[in-house]
Amino acid sequence: MKQTLTQSMAWLHTWGGLLFGWLLFAIFLTGSLAVFDQEIDHWMQPEIKQTSVSSAQAVEHAVAYLQRQHADASAWNISLPSERMPALRVTAGDRRSGISTYLDPLTGEPLVVRDTAGGTFFFRFHYSLSMPRNPGIWIVGLAAMAMLVALISGIIIHKKFFKEFFTFRPNKGQRSWLDAHNASAVLLLPFHLMITYTGLLIFALIYMPAALDSLYNGNFAAFYQEHIDVPEEHHAVQTSQAPLTDLAPLLAQAEARMGPLSGVVIEHPGRSDAHIEMRRVLGNRIALTKGHNMVFDGVTGELLAGPPELRPTVLVQRVMFGLHFAQFGGYPMRWLYFVCGLLSSAMIATGLVLFTVKRRRKYASESALGQQLYRLVESLNVATVAGLAVACIGLLWLNRLLPVELAQRAGWELRGFFAIWLLSLLHAWLRPRLQAWREQLSLAALLCLGLPLLSVFSDGQAWGDSMRLWLEVTVVALGLLLVWSVWRLRQPQVQRSERRERSVQAQVN
Amino acid sequence: MSKAGETTLAWPICSRVLAGLLGGYVFTYALTAALAQLLPLDRVDALLIASLLSFTFYTLAILWAFAARSAWRAWAVLPAAAPLALIGFWPHLLERLA
Amino acid sequence: MMTAFLGSLLLAYSSMLALCQGLERHYKQVWGRAPTRLQRRVLRGSGWLLLAASLWGCAQAWGWAMGPVGWFGMLSLSGFALALLLPYAPRLAVYAPVLGLPCWLLLYALAG
Repeated sequence: MKQTLTQSMAWLHTWGGLLFGWLLFAIFLTGSLAVFDQEIDHWMQPEIKQTSVSSAQAVEHAVAYLQRQHADASAWNISLPSERMPALRVTAGDRRSGISTYLDPLTGEPLVVRDTAGGTFFFRFHYSLSMPRNPGIWIVGLAAMAMLVALISGIIIHKKFFKEFFTFRPNKGQRSWLDAHNASAVLLLPFHLMITYTGLLIFALIYMPAALDSLYNGNFAAFYQEHIDVPEEHHAVQTSQAPLTDLAPLLAQAEARMGPLSGVVIEHPGRSDAHIEMRRVLGNRIALTKGHNMVFDGVTGELLAGPPELRPTVLVQRVMFGLHFAQFGGYPMRWLYFVCGLLSSAMIATGLVLFTVKRRRKYASESALGQQLYRLVESLNVATVAGLAVACIGLLWLNRLLPVELAQRAGWELRGFFAIWLLSLLHAWLRPRLQAWREQLSLAALLCLGLPLLSVFSDGQAWGDSMRLWLEVTVVALGLLLVWSVWRLRQPQVQRSERRERSVQAQVN
Repeated sequence: MSKAGETTLAWPICSRVLAGLLGGYVFTYALTAALAQLLPLDRVDALLIASLLSFTFYTLAILWAFAARSAWRAWAVLPAAAPLALIGFWPHLLERLA
Repeated sequence: MMTAFLGSLLLAYSSMLALCQGLERHYKQVWGRAPTRLQRRVLRGSGWLLLAASLWGCAQAWGWAMGPVGWFGMLSLSGFALALLLPYAPRLAVYAPVLGLPCWLLLYALAG
């Protein structure tokens, strides 16, 4: 089978792109939503109000509460209110599995806040497909490799890379879909390459532990200890009761050094081996500073370990992580990432649609099995692109419609999400192609446009604060975009121009 | 494309997919380990640089598997994995032998 | 920060526009005739200059570490917006910076 490079790469791009395109669209869409995960969290917890309170005051309330309710916990964790996350939250015990309570930052009293999957769900789905432990991470990794292969093979086969740099010719059927795919791919190429490669790097030592196996015998802990200065775990043999030091001066010291803080962890509060760890809000530099905290002695207030200095290679690694996590640069940068992410998702979607548009005429004469497979591809396209959109906005609706007192509420929200998505696949299989697209996109549009109304009826007031307003405005704008797409689908032009492709047209357009 | 044409294409495609995904992974693993050992740097630096570059190697290996002139040539990178693995894991081998 | 951000966005779009108009097919698309060689050179030259200016603007908004990251994002998005506008509203695509500039100057004056 002699093939030129272009032919083999075209084959690889087409079939690799199709097979992984559905998964990649889901990963890119949820990733884009995850840019605003905390803002979505906030919208999904209407009980929490935006307040402005100093970190010292918040910590004081938190410690007072913890002292009253959980004086003998092994650890206290305090999540401080920040620009993006106005909630004050305390956890007694282990950070992930301990007892969590929301507190009113002004009064220090506990708040009853609904259990919700939140925007954090989009973040978790994005890197793990909501699967427990590692299988999901591996699948996402494989998809990311497929994306890299698709990007490079796409560049190789795109002959008119510079000539057609700005070219987009609408209303020409297959040509337009190819133009849209090329334009969104080429113009956003730096973003695509960066986001995919940095995404792989985050779990590099899970996907490719070769260097770890070779140099450290697979011992990750040993590597971790060596690559940055971490304060030594000291286990005191004998501990006695000792009062916790005043936190206010420590907060001031930490903020002076690291900028705004996102949280405080107090290990062994009230004992002589107490430790206080201060976490900074991520994003005052590109490098991801997760885990690079300041540690103080809990009794004396002495600084035990400052924010670690990063050696050049570690800095490069952390900058790579940071470029993917997109926590830096404030809201303007966040918006750039969000829009780029949505356009990347659209790029993948145009590729999926292009596959079916190209083969529509040919498959009409295929075998019965061929036709069923083609039908499956069409249905998966609708369910992945439109269906997932419905499920995502549907999650926000479920957040407001499910009763607040429902046990395991977050779990039910997620069941609803996946149920909607599954139903969309069923719908797409049963309905004719264009109707399936129109109906699902219309539903998504309706849910988006209706969100502010839902907010008013469920919360008793419109949006409540500026962050929720921004979210609802954005959702409505996306809803309008969806309306436009449904309107475009009604146009018979698309089908007519496929026949007119060869007719004489003097314009460049 | 006739039925007969489809079945004769199935093996070369399978071969290339396996060569790319599995063969490519084995090759990349060995190359990354070798690079980690060979780089004249501190352990931490060597690990990070080798790991950072590994996905580039893997991508190229997968592309090679499909660009190669025949389904057999697609496996060309795999034989290289053995000597590379030797370089990457010679300290472990010495330990085993000692 | 917002003035620098919006200013860089304006510069980024203008640079993409200039480079795009420097290509024969897109110049024809808007003006109906082929560009002269001088026009092409001027357009491309100013395009590269505006590109550099937008990078400088991004550095003003974010600093020199984060600036280039934002710059790439802006170039991509403004290029894409341009590609979308050209077939539907070619004259708007060209005159958008002309409309944008006074708005930005007003913002700059207000922000002080």
